Parts: sequence; structure tokens; C-alpha cells
Amino acid sequence: MPAATAPSETGSAAARSAPPATVMLSRVASSLYWMGRYLERAENIARLLDVNIQLLIDFGSIGDQGIKEHWIPVLRSAGDEELFFQFYPKADSAAVTEFMTFHRDNPNSVFNCVGAARENARQVRDQISMEMWEVLNEAHLFLQAKDAHQVWQDGPSAFYDQVKRFSHLFQGLADSTFSRTEGWEYIQFGKFLERADKTTRILDVKYHILLPRATDVGGAVDTAQWQAVLRSTSALEAYRRFYVTEILPRKVAEFLVLSDTFPRSLRFCLRQLDVSLGHMGGGQRPAGPAVDDFDRLRAGLERLTIHDIIAEGLHEYLHNAQAVVGRLATHIYDTFMHHPPVDLASEIRFHQQEQQQQQQGL
Amino acid sequence: MLFHEYATEGFFDEMFTADGEVRPQYRAVADGLRGMESAEFQHKQEAVELAFMRGGVTFTVYNDTRGTERIFPFDCVPRVISAEEWDTVERGLIQRITALNLFLHDIYHDQKILKDRIIPPAHVLSARHFRREFMHFQVPRDIYVHICGTDLIRDRDGRYLVLEDNLRCPSGASYMLENRAAIKRAFPEMLRQAGVRPVDDYAQSLLRAMQFVAPPGYRGDDHPTVVLLTPGVFNSAYFEHAFLARQMGIPIVEGRDLVVRDFAVFMRTTRGLVPVDVIYRRIDDDFLDPSVFRADSLLGVPGLVNAARAGNVTLANSIGTGVADDKLIYYHVPRMIKYYLGEDPILDSVDTYLASEPKDRAYIIENLDKLVVKSANEAGGYGMLMGPWASAREIEDFRAQILANPRNFIAQPPISLSRHPTWVPENGAFAGRHIDLRPYVLYGEKITVNPGGLTRVALRPGSLVVNSSQGGGSKDTWVLRPAREEPAA
Amino acid sequence: MVPPDTRGRRLSLRHLTRFEYNGPVQDSFNDVRLCPVNDPLQSCLEFSLRLDPAVPVHTYHDFYLNRVDHFDLHHPHDWLEVEARSIVETRPDPRGPVIGAFPPALLDDPRLEENYFDFLADSHFVILDAEVWREAIDLLPGGVTDLWADSLRFARHLFRSFTYVPSTTHAGTRVTEVLRSRRGVCQDYAHVLLALCRSQGIPARYVSGYFFDADRPPDQPEASHAWIEVFLPGYGWKGIDPTHDRLADTRYVKLAVGRDYADIRPVNGSYRGRGTRQLLVEVAVREL
Repeated sequence: MPAATAPSETGSAAARSAPPATVMLSRVASSLYWMGRYLERAENIARLLDVNIQLLIDFGSIGDQGIKEHWIPVLRSAGDEELFFQFYPKADSAAVTEFMTFHRDNPNSVFNCVGAARENARQVRDQISMEMWEVLNEAHLFLQAKDAHQVWQDGPSAFYDQVKRFSHLFQGLADSTFSRTEGWEYIQFGKFLERADKTTRILDVKYHILLPRATDVGGAVDTAQWQAVLRSTSALEAYRRFYVTEILPRKVAEFLVLSDTFPRSLRFCLRQLDVSLGHMGGGQRPAGPAVDDFDRLRAGLERLTIHDIIAEGLHEYLHNAQAVVGRLATHIYDTFMHHPPVDLASEIRFHQQEQQQQQQGL
Repeated sequence: MLFHEYATEGFFDEMFTADGEVRPQYRAVADGLRGMESAEFQHKQEAVELAFMRGGVTFTVYNDTRGTERIFPFDCVPRVISAEEWDTVERGLIQRITALNLFLHDIYHDQKILKDRIIPPAHVLSARHFRREFMHFQVPRDIYVHICGTDLIRDRDGRYLVLEDNLRCPSGASYMLENRAAIKRAFPEMLRQAGVRPVDDYAQSLLRAMQFVAPPGYRGDDHPTVVLLTPGVFNSAYFEHAFLARQMGIPIVEGRDLVVRDFAVFMRTTRGLVPVDVIYRRIDDDFLDPSVFRADSLLGVPGLVNAARAGNVTLANSIGTGVADDKLIYYHVPRMIKYYLGEDPILDSVDTYLASEPKDRAYIIENLDKLVVKSANEAGGYGMLMGPWASAREIEDFRAQILANPRNFIAQPPISLSRHPTWVPENGAFAGRHIDLRPYVLYGEKITVNPGGLTRVALRPGSLVVNSSQGGGSKDTWVLRPAREEPAA
Repeated sequence: MVPPDTRGRRLSLRHLTRFEYNGPVQDSFNDVRLCPVNDPLQSCLEFSLRLDPAVPVHTYHDFYLNRVDHFDLHHPHDWLEVEARSIVETRPDPRGPVIGAFPPALLDDPRLEENYFDFLADSHFVILDAEVWREAIDLLPGGVTDLWADSLRFARHLFRSFTYVPSTTHAGTRVTEVLRSRRGVCQDYAHVLLALCRSQGIPARYVSGYFFDADRPPDQPEASHAWIEVFLPGYGWKGIDPTHDRLADTRYVKLAVGRDYADIRPVNGSYRGRGTRQLLVEVAVREL
């Protein structure tokens, strides 16, 4: 097995022959990656919130407990349940939406995700197109505006639509204004990584909760819930076109995990990640245990049916997929983008003071 | 129409003689503008400003969380310099940079000019930017000043005078290039008629100069790797850094992108560490290497100075060039030219009094209300007293400062900068505004002066301050071809 | 004042510095000034530097022509050991004793200015404030009349009115503080004497080195030493040790000169990491 292609400590002869124009700084790669990833996250969270607010309206009155049961899975699929309860005593609609949309101390709030995407873009302002920058800047100003809360009050759906539109606009502009250099791969890598993560989480959380009541399958509430899962991943229309049938949990799982055409399915995302892997760091595909695990997961997706997966345990499967993707992200980040934080103010120390000159004698 | 009420008001005007005649080098400009209506010119002016905004020719406003970017105000009326005038300026600058470069080599090695009593050692040793750490450094091809932006002004008689030298990290070359691009779009015909020399070669010349000074044994097999080192996106000049890097086709890096290993510099890339041979740095000495200079610098690269000392990387400009920016050293440049080159200076300096010398000091203190006082180590119009326009309190304040620290001050008689027709949108007409000129000199295989430069204009009526930070704008600068082109040899 | 020792000596020197860090550190950049100088008063016969971890050393000369050995350590390491060993021969001053008068007017010769300019000005440790000036002027109400005699008078004053107390000051203590507490170690004595001299226009510089003490009690630890030199037009730089109130003689080994301690730190560097847990310094000066 070839060694991981981590940046060598002495600078290889191969590196020297790279023409400077094609050299990609690790810092720039890192900024592009986080820009893509954070914006995708903002979009996913906006969609998740939008869908679940609407779902509550469909339910009508379901009581405090019902509302709590509704929102906890949402928090869980964003991975922020623990942090939430540090700030709020109970999970009601106002608290959860506030926390996930605007909260300054929630790094995954829509507000902070857009801010982070824009800040990363700002670091590489001269490397992206002006159009891309302007969209991110506008999105940032939209969320930062004094009346942002009011706009949200007036219509959460319209508010989240706007956030999603910024993301779509950005992707379209990136597609049509950003050269297909190595940098492109980092934007895509960040985007599909985030998608794979969110799709599996949303499916996992809902499947987990809904399945025990599998006898109710076909009930009105469940159908609404499964529709919500699909809408949370922007998959409802695509699902209907593909299956032309009622919404069945098994089919939903199949669609979100195994579809080879839907751009948010796990399989699709992993294929895209694979494409990007082949173009990073000058085209030599990175190696290492994390990449091997990823390859194994991807090969499985090409071979397995949803029956196999459910038989083995969908939750375990999704959980493992998240872990593999997460390890891949860490490995790729450390290999190509890692930039040790420079904080000289706290890290640098002068060790000169000890050598006081103090001989005494007579 | 546009010049209908234009008056030179007793100043030296670049475009018109005292009798109101158009100077010959401005004939094409005058012809082009003569037929133009106010609205038409205003339209051109706005179109150019919009293009600057769209093109990102901006500087970021500090402390602005909204990410506002502003354009450096631009005036569409070009400043024209005749071939004969330019010849003098060019020769003068080449002579000056040659002498300054010899001076830097000398004071960081044998210090002959001090031993021979041409310049008092105290003037050099007490200069804030004199770098003791840099003593005995060997720099490739003995070039210290690779890029110099010298500020020139013209006095009442139209005589070119050197106002100050900028040998650290002179900025503004990107505006020179963008201004020309803008004028090409706004007045293509006028530009062609006038016979203007192109400035576009600047970035390529700069790159060639950088490659020329690569360390003698640079480890590359092909071209040396040149990078531009910027303080980062928050620096107000970041646009220029990114612009020049793009034009040269070199990576723009921050301190954290570079590492030093075994006295050699590398950049961190997705392909591992890539060796760097030449650094066009836009960071001041103080912040360059926290292990040598300011330990609290977050911008620099620890170990960079020793990598340069070991001869594995070239810094452009070199460390320690700032000493020549010192106003006390400015005072001595004519002597340097004489000492090192045995020539008389082609370009004059402004008469200067040194507060550190008792006789001069007495004169300065007596005449504060008639003089311009400058602190020796500041640039960009900071730390300055304009005596004739100052309040009694400001004068008292400076008197105390000068007496407390005479080394830090010089004084000059106020020079009435030349004026130039400049668009005043409120009036819908041209009016005279004071200007200066910053040509860019590159020192590579030979010394070249880019035929053009940045003409800065004080947009406020009557103001003599042209700095962009203080209400200045810029103009395109046209250097004309000689009337009769000699056929190429 | 004790008469100078005039017997030439052959001395062996060992100076070990060991830093132990709080966890691994990296990106360490170091300048070492531990090589004895060669001049008419001493010859350095042998010098070697041992580093652990072992890394290549680059040597250059700084502004004051001190030899500097520079090395970088990039990889994480838990300790750093620097050991310098040398053999030095000292000689009595070939210029003989300082004789004659040195009125301050001699300094007005512009040809000399370059030699001493840096050593009249403020420096990092030697802060020339009103307190310094007052202390000096109390001793010389009429101002300086003789560069040499008045320097000696300052040194004598220091020796008598300051107390040598280790551990009350540290390597970062500046003149202002020492003048207030009136105690310290040789580094502080040297800084105060520099301040007194410079405040009155006597050019004076800091000297870093070692002192061979034949009468040292065996249990007393050895360390590096510091003293000063004053500039005498027509004679040159001459060393005075205010800690012992005597001239630098054949028992003194000079390593480096500078404006103050900041210019000549024997081992000086910076690194990334969480700090130094322990520092060990061992100095041994032996006559051969």
C-alpha cells in the first residue's frame, strides 16, 4: 500500500517541477472547501426547518409533548441537540427555530454558516469570481440586517426560500464562472461531503423513530412524516417521478441511499467525492486507511440492495457511513489543506530570560 | 466649453502656459476635450468609475464589517509629459537609484561614506529603519532596491524636484496600470493621437527583475519560483497585491503559507512543500520575521531572515532599505551621487533644514510659520506641519516636539505644487488642482523607469495633500514618444 | 581598586544550557553567542558547539562583529541542550595601563564618532531617564572632566552603594528598577554603570563573558559574567568590572559586546510551544 501523500517535510523533487501557476496553496484549498461546505450546510438547515415548520401546521394541535417529539429529531439530525439544551430549557418551536436560524453561539445556525462561508470566501476573494463573492456577501447582509428577524416573522417559508435561493444561485454561478482547476474540486468536495452527511442523518433520525410504528404504515400522519423526509432532502418530486407510487419507508430509504441519479443520495454524493479525490494534489489519488474504508463503502453501494441494508440494520449502516465519510474528510483535510493555526501571541515564547549573567566572585 | 472659465491663477499649470496657451504635449488632449459637452464628459467619468467598481479596483475600508470596498478616486483628464521632460526625469531617477543602492551596500558593509565623513555616522546609525541585524548580508547581484517609487513634484517654474524616495514597499503601480486601461476605453482616439508610450509591460518587467535576483544556486531546473507575500486580505492594499500577482502569474501568499526548513523557504501547497526562491514582499521589515524582528508579528515567517542570510531566498526589496527613506538621508542624497558616481544630481531636491543641526534648528524654530516640518521617519503625509496654514497651537505643539527630539524632524520651504485641469462634477467644468508624480523604477539586469507612473491629485480646492488616505485621487500619466521616432538599430 | 592580574593564562571553558519544555515544542529558532573573541588580549584556541537534538549550524557575524551560531529545530522536541567548549589564552593588555588625561572634548573628533555612537544612546535595558542623570550628576557635580577617571568613580560608587544579591532580579530587569532597589547581579551592575556613563556622555558598552576565580569556594556555582568597556580616544575600549570594582584582566574571557544584554544574549531564541519547565545552566572555567 502506498504511503499517504501528506505534504512532505522537505519538499520533494516532484513538487519542484510543478509550474507555479498551477500550484494551489493549502490555505486556499481549505478556504474553498469550507466555503462550499458551510453554504451547503446553511441550505440544508434552512430546508429542514422550513419543512418541519410546515409539517407542524399540518398536524394541527399536538400538545407540548408532541411538539417536543417533533423537534428533538430535527435537532439531532443537525447534530446539535446537546448544545441546544445549554441555552434553552425545552424544545418548542420558537426555541428550536431561533437556535437553528439565528443563534450566535450555535456554530451551525444558518446565520453562522452563511457568515463562515462568506468569511472563507473573503480570504480567497481574488481567487473566486466577483459574482460568487457578491452572492455570499448579499446572503450575509440579508441575515445580518436589522430587520432579519422581522422578515422571518412575516413568513418563515419565504425567509428560508431566500436562503436556499442564495445557495442555488451561488452554485449556479460557481458552475458557470469558476474555472475547473484543482480549486473546483475542493468546493465540490466540501459540498458533497456535507450533503452525504445531512442526507444520512435526516434519514437515520426519522427511520429510527418511525419504524417501531411500522404497522401504521400508510396512515396519514406517517405519510406526512415520510413526505417531510423527502422534502427535507429536496427529494419529493424526484421520488414521485421515479417510483410513481405511494410513499413507502423502504422506498424512501432506497431512494435516499441508493439512487444513482438523485444528486443528494448517499450513492451519488460518494461518487462525486470519488471524482474529486482523483483530482486533488496534482492527480495522484490519496491513499490510507480512511480512503480504503471509503472505497469499501462505495463499492458496497454499487452492489447492495436496500433489503440487504435493512436486514443488516439501516441505522448501523447509516451510522457507519457517516463515520467513514467523516474520517475521509479528516484525512483529506490533513493531507491537502491542513493549516496549523498560527497564534504566535499565545504560542511563541522566548526562552532567553533564564540566562541571567550572574557570576559572583572575589 | 469645458475650459471656458479655466484659470491658472499664477500657478505652474501642466496644460496651459501663463498666457493661456496649450502646451505642445497637450495638443491632442485639448483637441479631444474641446468639442466635448459637460454632460458627455461626466458620462465618461461615471462609466470609468463604474468599471473600476465592477473590476474590483478598490481598497477595503478598515473596520468595515460590511465589506465595503471603495474605489481610489480617478480623474479622467490625463497628465501628459513630453519626451524631453521624461528624458530628464528618467536619467535623474536612474542616477538616483544607482547612488541609493550603492549607499545601502556601503552602509551595510564597509561604511566608507561614513568613514570618509560625507555623511555623519549619527545620521545613519540613528535612523529608525537602519537594521543592525542586516549587517554584512550578501544580497544577490548586490541589488537592494528592486522596486522604488520616487515622488516628484514641480515647483512654480515647472522644475522637477524629488520630494521623497520610497524604498520599502512602494505601492500604487496597479493603479497606474488600471488607470491606463480605463483611459483606453474612455478616450481611445485621444490616446492614439497623442502618441503615448505603453505602460503595460510593468508586471512582466517586475517579474523579470525578480527572476534576475534569484539566489545564485537556486535549486530549480527551470525558472526560479517567485511569490508575492502579502499581509493578507485585510490589508488596504490587498487589491494591488492580488492584481500584481495575477499579472505576473505568481502565487500570492501570506506568512502562514510559508515555512522555513533548514534555511530554505517553502510554501505549503496541496502537493506538499514547494521551494520558493524569490519573495516580492509587501510586508515591512518589522513584521517579516518574528524570530528576529517583532516577536508579536502574526504576518511574518519565522526563520525567513536567516534563510535570506544563508543565501537561499531573495527578498525584494531587501531588508534595511527603509533607512534611505529617512528624511535626514534624503538630505544627503546629492552628496551620495557626487561621492559614488562623481556626478552632479540631475534632479534637484527640495531645500531641507535638519533640526538635528544646531544652526538649522535655530532657523526652523524661528520660522515655523513659514516652513513645512516633517518627521524624519514617516511617509504618506503623516506627522507633518504645514506652517503657513497651521494654527498657533499646532505650531507650538511642533516646537515642543522638535526641541524634545530634534533628530526626528526636518523642515522645508513650502513648494507650491504644479496644477492640472481636473474634473469638478459639482461645477460641470475643469478646475486647477495640485498634483505630484510617482514613477516606478525597477532594478533588475538594468535599471528601468516605467514610462508613466501614478499622478496623484489633491481633489480638494487649494489642497496640497495628494495622499489617497487624505482626500487624494489619481490620473493616468502619459509619456509621449519622441517627436521623430528613430528607426530601430 | 584592586590591581589587575597580569599573569597570562590558558583557560578551558564549558557552558551547558539545557531547556526542558512543557510538552513538545517546535519551530525553534536560536542564536548563540558563546564563542570567545580573538583580540590582542585573548586568543581562542579551540571552540566546539554540541547540540541535542543535533542540527546544522550556520555562523555569521552580527553588527558588533560578534560571532553568532544560528540553528533551527523544526520537528517537535522535548528538550534542547547547547554545550559550548573552548580553550582560551589570555594575555596582559599590550597597550599597558591607561595613562594620561582623557578630557571629553577628545570625543568631538568626527572620525571617531562611528566607533561610539551606538554606545551613547538609550538602549533596551539602559534607559536614560532623569533618575539616572541625577545619580550621575550627584557624583560629578562639575560634569565629566576625564572619561577614564570619572568612569572609575562611577564604578566605585556602584560597588560601594549597591548590594550583590542573586535572585532579586531576573534576565529582564532594566536599569530603572535596579536603580530603585539598589541590588542585583553582575548583569544589573553592568547596566547601571552603562547608564551612568552614557548619561554623562561617556561611550560605554556591555561585555558578556566569563571570569576565572581561583579562590572560588567549591560549593559556589559558576555562571557567565558581565562587565563593561568605556571608549577612550587614542587608547580604545577598556574594561571595567563594577561587580568587583576592578579592571578586566587576564582572568576575564570575552564572548561578545553590545549596547546591553539584549544584543549579546548567550543563548537566545524563540519557539512554538507551551513554555519551559526547567532550565539548567552549568558553567565551568578551569585553568590548564
